[in-house]
Amino acid sequence: MSTESIMVRLRRANPVPQAPAGEDNELFARITAEAADSRLTERTRPRVERRRRVVVAAFALLVAALLASTAFAISQWIGGDVVPPPVTKQEYLEAQKELSLPPGVKWPKYNMGEPNSVTNRGAGGGQAVLVAQNAWECYWVDAIKRGDAAAGQQAHNELNKLLANNIREAPAWASENWAPTPLPDHPVVYFAHDGGLAWVKNNYRQAAGGDPTGISQSCKANAPG
Amino acid sequence: MGMTETHDRHAAEARFRAVFSHLGAVAAYARRRGSRDADAVAAEVMTIAWRRLADVPHDDPRPWLYATARNLVLADLRRASFSASEMTEDFAPAPEVVELDPILGAALLSLSRLDREALLLVAWEDLTPTQAARSLGINPAAFRVRLLRARRRLRTKLEDASTGRRCDPNAHLDMETT
Repeated sequence: MSTESIMVRLRRANPVPQAPAGEDNELFARITAEAADSRLTERTRPRVERRRRVVVAAFALLVAALLASTAFAISQWIGGDVVPPPVTKQEYLEAQKELSLPPGVKWPKYNMGEPNSVTNRGAGGGQAVLVAQNAWECYWVDAIKRGDAAAGQQAHNELNKLLANNIREAPAWASENWAPTPLPDHPVVYFAHDGGLAWVKNNYRQAAGGDPTGISQSCKANAPG
Repeated sequence: MGMTETHDRHAAEARFRAVFSHLGAVAAYARRRGSRDADAVAAEVMTIAWRRLADVPHDDPRPWLYATARNLVLADLRRASFSASEMTEDFAPAPEVVELDPILGAALLSLSRLDREALLLVAWEDLTPTQAARSLGINPAAFRVRLLRARRRLRTKLEDASTGRRCDPNAHLDMETT
């Protein structure tokens, strides 16, 4: 008996030679009334979800990018001009070339602050002016205490130069951190229109009269920290 | 239900319609393997197929359906063997079931379950060796070797039977027997 005849014999012996009709609409309806395979019915939904997520992610990225430059953008909207720490530091360093410090005093290292922070353009120069102002005030206090009239006079002269060239008072209507447009081409610090500058000038008048109280307070209060 | 979900469901039903067209073939398979309630087995197979439609091959669902039916029939037969004493005439073969040649039946039952199933998938379910291999979850090349050996073994058994060396005449053709 060949293997082929074995298969023929087997086929002939099929106990159910004809498969019954497979149509059973009632059964079909009953089965499909149940929840379908979720992997099929949700197959397109994740695509939509994914597309939606991509859009949301893109939007989030856009927002993040905007936020990263928020201060810059906002300042642009309100007419200001802000710069990142490296620019401010450079302004600070450049201003040192135009300003002087008392003998033996060194420029303090500029504190860069937060990497993503921003500062008004020109603030680096203004910082240098304040450092110089404070240094000369302290120097003057020491000069008065030592009775060194020449040193006191030198300090007075330097502070007057600062008042003349590098210290300004913002307009009465100006907000905090106001700066003019365009900015001056040399380092300038702007005091708010709140009497602060008048107090400074008064202190200098008192110091010139031999009373270091005012500049001594200012020396301590505004010492670089 | 949104438009997308409705469309998905219609697509799933259309896909299942093609699978469901094999309902009769699955019922026949269950009967050939000794199921006493082949229609229920076929209905159960189709229900499983609907729930797991993503697993059912698009191109040819029959191997998957037969494999599922095989598992259900085996489970049924195991249950039946535990309660054989409760058998009633409800378990009698369906009218369309042809009496199997006892010599051939005994020869088949003397084969291993896998050998027997390999032969029957090709001879009775009319699957190609590749389809049958898929239904058994084995490599097509391995299936061909198994089929060849199964044919030889069956031939030997039948030859033995024809020369007087009888196979077990009391054997029943169900898939529990190896």
